[in-house]
Amino acid sequence: MVQANQKLTVAFNVNGGDVEIDVTPETALVDMLRDGLLLKGAKRSCDMQVCGACTVLVDGLPVSACTVPAFEVRGKSVTTIEGLAADDRMAGLTDAFIDNAAIQCGFCTPGMVLAAKSLLDRNPHPSEDEIKDYMRGNICRCTGYKKIVEAIQEAAQKAVQG
Amino acid sequence: MRPFRLYEPTTINETVATLSELGDDGKLYAGGTELLLAMKTGLLQYDGLVNVKTVPELEGVSYSNGTLTIGARATHSTVEHSADVLAHAPLISSVEHRVANVRVRNVGTVVGNLCFAEPHSDPGALLLLYGAEVDIASPSGTRSVSVEQLVVGPYETSLAGDELVTRVRVPLLPNGMRGAYLKFGYHHRPTLGVGAAVSVTDGKFVDVRLTLGSAPPKPTRMRDAEAVLRGAAVDDPAVAIEAGRIAAEDCDAIDDLHGSAEYKRHLVQVFVQRALTEAVERGVK
Amino acid sequence: MTQQKFNTVGQSVRRIDSYDKISGRAVYSVDVVVPGMAYAKLVPSPLPHALIKSIDASKARALPGVYAVLTAAELVNMETHYGSDKKDRPIVAMNKVRFQGEPVAAVAAVDLATAEAAAELVEVEYEALSAASDLTSALLPDAEPIHDSNYCHEYGYEWGDVDAAFAGCDRIFEDTFVFPMVYHYAMEPHTCVVSYEHDRIRTWTSAQHPFLVRAELARIFGMQLDQVQVVVPYVGGGYGSKSYTKIEPLVAALSREAGRPVRLAQSVEESMKTVRRHAARATIRTGVMNDGTFVARECLSYVDTGGYTDNGVRVTERISDRIVGPYIFDNVRVKSYGIYTNSTPAGSFRSIGGPQASWACESQTDIIAEALGIDPIQLRLKNLAKKGDEVRRGKRPLEGDLAPKLQMVLDKFGWDTYVREDPSPTVKRGIGFACNVTNSGASPTSTSLVRFHADGSSTVYIGTTEIGQGSRSVMAQIAAEELRIPLASIKVIGSDTDAVPYDRSTGSSRSTTLMGLAVHDAAVDVREQLLEIAAKHFETFADQIEAADGKATFKGESMTFGALVREMFGGSGGELMGRGYVTQNHASGRLTQDPVFWEVSIGAAEVEVDEDTGTVKLLRYVSASDPGKAINPKQVEGQDEGAAMQAIGHSMFEEMLFEDGQFLNPNLVDYRVPTFEDLPGEFETVLIEFGDGPGPYGSKGVGEGGIVCVAPAIANAIFNATGVRLRELPLTPERVWRAIEKSKQ
Repeated sequence: MVQANQKLTVAFNVNGGDVEIDVTPETALVDMLRDGLLLKGAKRSCDMQVCGACTVLVDGLPVSACTVPAFEVRGKSVTTIEGLAADDRMAGLTDAFIDNAAIQCGFCTPGMVLAAKSLLDRNPHPSEDEIKDYMRGNICRCTGYKKIVEAIQEAAQKAVQG
Repeated sequence: MRPFRLYEPTTINETVATLSELGDDGKLYAGGTELLLAMKTGLLQYDGLVNVKTVPELEGVSYSNGTLTIGARATHSTVEHSADVLAHAPLISSVEHRVANVRVRNVGTVVGNLCFAEPHSDPGALLLLYGAEVDIASPSGTRSVSVEQLVVGPYETSLAGDELVTRVRVPLLPNGMRGAYLKFGYHHRPTLGVGAAVSVTDGKFVDVRLTLGSAPPKPTRMRDAEAVLRGAAVDDPAVAIEAGRIAAEDCDAIDDLHGSAEYKRHLVQVFVQRALTEAVERGVK
Repeated sequence: MTQQKFNTVGQSVRRIDSYDKISGRAVYSVDVVVPGMAYAKLVPSPLPHALIKSIDASKARALPGVYAVLTAAELVNMETHYGSDKKDRPIVAMNKVRFQGEPVAAVAAVDLATAEAAAELVEVEYEALSAASDLTSALLPDAEPIHDSNYCHEYGYEWGDVDAAFAGCDRIFEDTFVFPMVYHYAMEPHTCVVSYEHDRIRTWTSAQHPFLVRAELARIFGMQLDQVQVVVPYVGGGYGSKSYTKIEPLVAALSREAGRPVRLAQSVEESMKTVRRHAARATIRTGVMNDGTFVARECLSYVDTGGYTDNGVRVTERISDRIVGPYIFDNVRVKSYGIYTNSTPAGSFRSIGGPQASWACESQTDIIAEALGIDPIQLRLKNLAKKGDEVRRGKRPLEGDLAPKLQMVLDKFGWDTYVREDPSPTVKRGIGFACNVTNSGASPTSTSLVRFHADGSSTVYIGTTEIGQGSRSVMAQIAAEELRIPLASIKVIGSDTDAVPYDRSTGSSRSTTLMGLAVHDAAVDVREQLLEIAAKHFETFADQIEAADGKATFKGESMTFGALVREMFGGSGGELMGRGYVTQNHASGRLTQDPVFWEVSIGAAEVEVDEDTGTVKLLRYVSASDPGKAINPKQVEGQDEGAAMQAIGHSMFEEMLFEDGQFLNPNLVDYRVPTFEDLPGEFETVLIEFGDGPGPYGSKGVGEGGIVCVAPAIANAIFNATGVRLRELPLTPERVWRAIEKSKQ
């Protein structure tokens, strides 16, 4: 049991490195990452799990960091956009987003790219409908989505070609 | 969000004992996809949350003897991708696939969804179609009720404050019965869900189950509509129309952001017919 | 227009901010942390219309960790009201609240949790007034006036003799169209950090027009322009929601009260209660001849500007400017009124008045076509304005022919070869088209500075904010082209009023054209200086020297640009500076008229309507963007696709719902924005490049055109599919179903 205003220690792996940080139970994962660990890539937008701007991967699965409590990642492995960008193996995905002009204001981009990564991890050859279906939980207000779909298709294709 | 105390029991007994102690100040917490949202906006407030995810007994999805068992900790994603569900009741997987979005599915639980009883939702209406039952634990023992008896109204269940739903047991549709589930809506949450399960012999409906979700205040079996179908000819369009009409009349829809009650009743008529058609076609294949 | 060969202009080069954004290191206002910063929370009015009887902030102020509570009582020794045209917006509510969510007080505290707790302790006593949350109720004679009256602004124009003309027409059509309240949903809510210091103000804010914010803050607090610094980091979406001045004065006043910097990071709900698009009701009366000739048009529009004016003056004017359509009418009488209602104030939103006007006029074009038995495309072509026509009298003549542009879209869509195939007797398909021209609000007031370094690299200074449109990249491309150096050698510094020279604003599709011209001129200025240095070096005339690839070459001998700079300064350092001024009197002579350019909008849609449910599926949509010359084609496409998708939102399901002033759906669960699943099966933008713009290389603005014609194209397609005409947006399934049911009676 943890008392209100008492803190609990969250020991977890973030972007390949082990960390330990103390948080209160009601602290949201996105705030622990942004304010506690200065990983500002994840953004708070709708704050209701609808838009996906706060998407991070927990054990490879995308979650809404605006609502998932920070204590839920104890013992787990978290990937934020900072980890993705530093990973050479992800260059195909980041290049595809950039080359296809799938980034405009960029506020949705960290969450969008992480969601796309989790899609391709699960389904390396998604059809256009499968992309739209999986990604429908990530909102973009700037691009109109078409170039993001094209970016994901290109990343999938390039991965096949090696 | 207001501060809360976190309780992390490791057994079912510890869980219900803690709930009992906390009374109105405490609430069970699994995925939190509905609960934490309500707490963030201030609609609900609890001093203590009791985490069920630290209780190993509540884990998992399994299959045995014609029944799928979904533990209280199982997320929508777990159910969606479960080999047992895909093998024995793929309809459940396909409906779970369309719940909210992938992030909510990765965190939210099926049992949690039933217990929060958000009216605009699909799992309740779907599990009602299967005649699912839930097992409930409390300090005084265990009991079981149907999903129909569990969810009594919008955001309202028949659970006492110290009760924990440990699992939901989903009997497969009897041999010869085929199910379909159609949902309609363009908002983040569904406007209408219709579940239909039918068995057909010699071109006549033998057994029929019809459930509605999202339009009525709670997931509802439409028994009066089912009654006109039983024994009727499958290819008589008038029968399906009549069933739809009765279901619409009985569905108790209200005006809300999803539309007027009149429009929802109209949708019920349309989708009852479509769901019946689809269920019948599944049987034909 | 000469066929110039370009090095980077015209290429879809990688945006220079791409890596910042995809790595997560891009800084937005909410990422800014300043030493000693406090956190703010607003105290909003729960009532839509009320007198404020009293405010007691004593309990809030007494809470440990609270630095200050700002109320109207603290607005002393300063101006209390602001606004882009009418200064009718109080910094915090004074005496009265005019919409649900209007800030009545604001708390600054050591952390957000404390600020939130303190905000709940502020006690406000209200005396409720009757609220009018739509045009109808606000226009009732006994409506409780929201300001002195409920009339914000009035506008109109006319030419010809409308009444006589109507008398001579074969047919007269009158229709009324309704456009809803919609919200921009920039994913980054309004956010700013302000540090009020005794002799200066510094702010980091998610704003589109830093120089206008600077002017407003200086005026409010009695400071000079040089004492106010406005820094705009990357902006997470604007679309007009962050135009002019929004929350900066409140946060500045709170910072002054707290004696320390303060950050206010709004929630999406708070931003939905900050600004929105103007709802509208427009009645169009059009007189035509049986052969389809347009003769006379009379329009009356009401736009709902919410509780305060914000950009209500200009929107009231623009809807009237745009409602005549891209057609020639010899007789026109247009009138519009901006009306206050007790709802979120309405301000700029991508093509102000454009979608509302086009929803009306381009729907009616098809109504007329149907009644006359004339093909809707032929009817448009018959009356379409041509190059050189004064499509609006007194304004710049149309700079390019529209007919070929329409044809490009029609060809891409396959309009002439379309064969209708209904999937079933109750699922119908159809096609629809719409087009318009909008007078850009772009104002020619821009300056740029280009610094050229001793190693041949360059820094370009622009006031344009990077709101997602890719302005930094476009300016870099223009500079690279004119400096004749690689794109990789250019850095762009933007939107810090202490660092960059003046640019009026980022919006109204103006940046490539006007800021781009300033950058172009500044870069040319540098190039000419380099050529002068080279001419001295080579002992010849500047026009004998070739400048390319970072080198000046004369008769086979080259000097790098960097070497030229070093030679001028006589050492290893030094720098050249080039400047560009853009005013109405620009040397090109192309900026003297208003509008600076006409932005063209064209759209063709194919829909599938399920008559049983009213569901409309957008199967295909072809849009057009007409940049004159695309500096970065993929960016242009992206802007058009994004604009069209926002329009799909307001066409199909977006609607802010108010009832008696209560805002019913101020969040993303209940306010439905487009997702990946709303992408039409085919979604194309036709790029039109006729070089007919006044900007660099014949360019002109884009970004707004795509949002203008989607709604009428879809409604025209629904009519084509089902024979049912809708006059109110959004085209939700229920609305469409009801219209179909009604038509069966």
